[in-house]
Amino acid sequence: MMHPARRSTLGIAATIALLAAACQAPAPQPAQPSAPQQAQPATQEREFITWYQYDETNTDPKSDERVGNEYLRKTIPLFNEAFKGKWRWVNQPQPFDQMATRLTAAVQAGGEVPDLMQSSDANLIPFLKNGVVQDLTDWIKAQPWFDDLDPSAVAACTGPDGRIYCVPVAMTPQIVFAWKDYFPNGYPKTPEEFKQVAEQLKAKGVYAITFFGSTAFDGEGTTRFTNTLIKSFGGTFDDGQGNMKLDTPENRAAIEFLREIIAAGYVHPRSWDGTTTPFIEEEPMKTAEAASFPTGIFGYRYVNPLKAPNGREYNKGNEEDMLDAITNGDVFIAPFFAPEGRKPGCGTGVTGFVIPNGAKNPEAAKDYINWIMSKEQNPDWVLGPGGGFPALRSMLPEIEARMPVAKAFYEQAAAAVAASECRPWYGTLERRNEAKKIIQTAIFKLVKEDPTADISAVLKAAEEEYNKGN
Amino acid sequence: MATQLPLTSAQRTTFANRIAERFNQTLPLWLLLPTLLVLAVIQFYPGIYSIILSLQDRRAGAVEWVGFRNFERIFESAIFRESVGHTVVFLVGYVLVTMVASLAVALLLNQRLRLGGVYLALLFIPWVIADIIVGLIFGLLVVPEYGLLSPILSNPTLFPPKGLSIPSDPPPKPWIAGFPFPPAPAMVYLILASSWRALPFITLLLLAALKTVPSEIVESARIDGAGRLQLLFRIILPLILPTMVVALFNLMLGGINGIGLVFSLTRGGPGTATEVLSYLLYTIGFQRLEFGRAAALAVFMAVINLALILLTLRVSRVDERTT
Repeated sequence: MMHPARRSTLGIAATIALLAAACQAPAPQPAQPSAPQQAQPATQEREFITWYQYDETNTDPKSDERVGNEYLRKTIPLFNEAFKGKWRWVNQPQPFDQMATRLTAAVQAGGEVPDLMQSSDANLIPFLKNGVVQDLTDWIKAQPWFDDLDPSAVAACTGPDGRIYCVPVAMTPQIVFAWKDYFPNGYPKTPEEFKQVAEQLKAKGVYAITFFGSTAFDGEGTTRFTNTLIKSFGGTFDDGQGNMKLDTPENRAAIEFLREIIAAGYVHPRSWDGTTTPFIEEEPMKTAEAASFPTGIFGYRYVNPLKAPNGREYNKGNEEDMLDAITNGDVFIAPFFAPEGRKPGCGTGVTGFVIPNGAKNPEAAKDYINWIMSKEQNPDWVLGPGGGFPALRSMLPEIEARMPVAKAFYEQAAAAVAASECRPWYGTLERRNEAKKIIQTAIFKLVKEDPTADISAVLKAAEEEYNKGN
Repeated sequence: MATQLPLTSAQRTTFANRIAERFNQTLPLWLLLPTLLVLAVIQFYPGIYSIILSLQDRRAGAVEWVGFRNFERIFESAIFRESVGHTVVFLVGYVLVTMVASLAVALLLNQRLRLGGVYLALLFIPWVIADIIVGLIFGLLVVPEYGLLSPILSNPTLFPPKGLSIPSDPPPKPWIAGFPFPPAPAMVYLILASSWRALPFITLLLLAALKTVPSEIVESARIDGAGRLQLLFRIILPLILPTMVVALFNLMLGGINGIGLVFSLTRGGPGTATEVLSYLLYTIGFQRLEFGRAAALAVFMAVINLALILLTLRVSRVDERTT
């Protein structure tokens, strides 16, 4: 007969085993799109869950995300009215730098996922690798608005397998915001011109430029100023085959130029301070301590209030400050400068939507996307959460008509983009999050930590670090 | 078919006794059961799952067994080697500063001070504030434009030649190639912030130990002519050594695994100046979504933790034998 203690031990072990079995994570969802949900009776209203970086319940007028917050506050009732009896939109706000991670974790763990998430093309490869999002190719190509989409926006949502995994709504190219009083003859066209003007500005106690130079947000600076600079000098981050390629004459020239302007005192010191205070590099532009600020087109929403060099103040504390300053001619938008014979570089990306695997109501997401792509809704989304150019080419005049204060802004931005060569920063690099950290760390080392370090050696080491994972 | 006869009173008593006896015999196991279940769910299962994950590369709906390739990639990467150096610098600085400061405060509070209880209550404020909030507060203190400490830090007389910028000043040239010492100002600041956060708990531990030091021994030593320093180093510290060992390992384990302050204060920067192993693990796992590699690093860190725990147990046993 079994000893009672042993029997109890076995009992406990069996209980633990049962518990462990119950805790088994469900198998990851396959990457295929989930089957369309059965049509529900119109009377049975169901929840349509979204993840946005905006929070409609946040009414703080000083919130950094007030534009998106307000957009949702205004739009959610409109959607609910339009789809009364079918869908009821419930938004679950998420921190912008954790949305992709949370969605991946939720999909992999078989947890509750939204029906739709706002996302940029930068998340595409990690999403594909982890089976997070649905293949939308067949559906998106069947939509009446598909042919109106800018081909580069569609390309940004296309995976290496040629399938389309996100719906582009707005395009967000990189441009330069500059104070007119500091650049009365327009923004410099070449690095040499820039240095001349910068020297004159320095004599007046003004820094010629401020930018996202820190390694914050896992190297986000790569996607902004670093990319603009490198591409403007004709450089790249990849060899076109998926390998990182940094040690090139063009890249070295760009870094030497950057070292030179830092040493000369043309770069505002806040450019490097983003690690402890994210986005602090915007401050010198707001106060006109810095004369120019290369950043994403969406920057117009965040860089406020403004005080022009001539003393004029724009202090509504919202996105209209920058638009007003542009309309009044105090701020202008320009392409970055580039060496003689080269076109300025310009990073670009898209923001739009993904439908996660495991979404309960993908049909709601599709209804929502079609609603957002309508002439009535699309301009508001582009002006609100999108913060860029419309991916639907026919929408630009509509946007300008709807927001007259943005007319000058869009005209100048369109001219700047047309004068630049705008492409996604990552080229053929697949592990984009890893790549951007490696690149920005290398640049930071070369220009800030050790401006005497051998450029070629540091760039080669960075290349090797990334390429080991290929 | 046999008829079952009702139990007699004596039989019933024997049966009840047997049940009670069995229950008593197995009682320790039943008492342990809730803890074992909790451990199974939150420790054993994730631990084993992490080990499995560290040997895999997961792609959409597919799992590839890659052996130790994730470990190789981690150990080969330059940022891993840098992070090990930063972790060592952080741990040594954090443990030293916290232990010395906590001991000093504990010795002070062990005196019969007026309003001693109030000081103790005030001392506990950092302990009840979340890491993230501490990071935000310390971050705001050094914002160049308006930080409370910025006028002092940016003073070139105090910090020649052009003042100090915690958010962006790079580390000085290392004394030993490849090892990040002396650390960047941001690392020093991170150590100070972490020590401020840990100070109350360690102080309380040491204060409790100081209260157990028999006053007769202290008095005898005084009568024998021991000075203050002799009293401290020859009498008090040896007597509270077991508690100090516990505090030491508490700090080391907290220091090696803690991420809240790094995340909210420096995010590993400037550059990679404060990129410690725990933050590297976070970035690989939760920003780059490379779960296999993150699991490999987690397993490596678990081994380090295990080694520290075993060391603690060994040191504790030594103490048991010697005291």
